[in-house]
Amino acid sequence: MVYIESWDEFVDKSVQLFRADPQSSRYVMKYRHCDGKLVLKVTDNRECLKYKTDQAQEIKRMEKLNNIFFTLMTRGPDVDITEASMKEQAESQQTKKGRGRRQ
Amino acid sequence: MRRWSFGFNFEKTPSIMVLLQPDPFLNELTKMFEQNKEKGSVWVTFKRSTLKCKAVRQRMQTVGELLEYRCLVRATDGKKKISTAVESMETRQILICLVYLILRCEISGQLSTKEHQKFQASYATLLKAHMDSLKKRDRKDKKK
Repeated sequence: MVYIESWDEFVDKSVQLFRADPQSSRYVMKYRHCDGKLVLKVTDNRECLKYKTDQAQEIKRMEKLNNIFFTLMTRGPDVDITEASMKEQAESQQTKKGRGRRQ
Repeated sequence: MRRWSFGFNFEKTPSIMVLLQPDPFLNELTKMFEQNKEKGSVWVTFKRSTLKCKAVRQRMQTVGELLEYRCLVRATDGKKKISTAVESMETRQILICLVYLILRCEISGQLSTKEHQKFQASYATLLKAHMDSLKKRDRKDKKK
C-alpha cells in the first residue's frame, strides 16, 4: 500500500474508513527508535491507509489523531470528533502564549 | 505455579495476551520503548471492541442487551504482547472471564471518564518522552 503524503487527507480518509466499519477497523502506530521513523496505519482488512514520518513536529499531529480515535472507539463512531480536535488546538495556543510572555 | 496449567505450558506459548489495568499497561509500555531503543520496533494498536466472543455478542443482541464498547489498546515489540481496555462511560462491572483467571491475567475493571482522560494524557506524555529520535524541524529542506 502506498503511503499517503498529505496529513489532512490521511486523517479524513482514516476517520471515514473507521466510521464505515467500526467493527473491523483498527489504528496501528509503529515506532522505530533506531531509525527515527514513525508509521501510522488505519485498516479494515480490505483497505489500508498509511502515513510515514521522521519529523519530531508530527508527534503533535499524531497526538491529535490518537485523541480522535480514542473518542471514536470509546464513545461510538457517530460521536462528534470536533471536540477532540478543538481541545488540542486550544492547548497548543495556550502553550504558544506562555512562551511569548516569558521572552 | 504450574498447578493451574492443566498440562499446558503457558511460558512457552508466545501468543498469550496480557490484559492489564491502564496504569501497569503504561509502565510495561515504557519498558517496551526502552528495550527497543537500540534496535527493534514497537507497534501500538487501537481497536474498538466489546471484549466478548462472537457467541456471547450474538446472544446479547438477540436478548436486546446493549453492547458496551471499549478502546482496546494493544502493544507489541514482536516478542511480547501487552494490552489494556479503556472505556469512556461509567458502566456496570463486567464479570471477570474464567479464562483470564486461568491465565493469571487481570481484566480491566471500571474506568470512569476521568480515568479515560487520564490514560489518554499519560499515554501522550509517554509517547512524547520516548519518540525523541525523530528529526527536529529542518528549515533548509522542509518536507511539506
